[in-house]
Amino acid sequence: MQPTSTMNEEFLKKWQMGLQMFRPSIDNASVSERKRAIKLSADVAMASLRKGTTCWSRALIQKTATEDNFLVRQMLSGIKEETLINKKLPKVMCHRKIVRRSKKILMRRKSRSAMEEVAAKAKKLVKRKTQGLRNVVPGGEFMSNNVLLIQETLDYIVSLQTQVNVMRSIVDAAEAGIER
Amino acid sequence: MSNRRSRQSSSALRISDDQMIDLVSQLSQLLPEIRERRRSDKVSASKVLEETCNYIRKLHREVDNLSERLSQLLDSVDEDSHEASVIRSLLM
Repeated sequence: MQPTSTMNEEFLKKWQMGLQMFRPSIDNASVSERKRAIKLSADVAMASLRKGTTCWSRALIQKTATEDNFLVRQMLSGIKEETLINKKLPKVMCHRKIVRRSKKILMRRKSRSAMEEVAAKAKKLVKRKTQGLRNVVPGGEFMSNNVLLIQETLDYIVSLQTQVNVMRSIVDAAEAGIER
Repeated sequence: MSNRRSRQSSSALRISDDQMIDLVSQLSQLLPEIRERRRSDKVSASKVLEETCNYIRKLHREVDNLSERLSQLLDSVDEDSHEASVIRSLLM
């Protein structure tokens, strides 16, 4: 699984479109305002590649919309993702607590061998690490299912790699162009 | 009755355990840290997950850094200069 050249091209196009919207103000903006515009357009561009099919991309679009609603609407206008901006992501966090409680009860009733102890410890460790993952993947807090969480993570990483590769190429090219 | 319930829940765990193993190995293929190790080295699931978090954070920092650099670049060029048009043609 790797970023494809199609993904690269699509990302670049969408990112450019987002930056064009800032064009009038980009010359007069401060460095930090411009950086924010660059970053937000890059995030929306990356998320829109998935066309609303993944949880992380919808969560990222929603998050960006709270920071700059106008930009997101403009970048996504004409695409059905626009409706996703107002869609409420389901809150399933409460389910996790219930499952955890009933698992605890089940565990107490079983008598545990040494092997089971080791397995239980390993599971606890994995649980802690998956919680860490939920903190860095957009919308992670809504992914109570670990299988879903990792599937989303895989897709998110490939998308991030696309974003980084294209941005790096542009910045390198721009810096080279200026130094000449 | 509780026996039936516990048997059902443990078989459900087993199915997703296999899926998890497969997904975790897919993750490890994406991480440069782990991919570059020798095939014989086994990596635990929790290590893969930890490395994944670190990798994602690293990518976030890179995006932030690249946005900063680009913003600085646009700042440092004269509006009417040749360099400015180079950047504009790349970006806009």
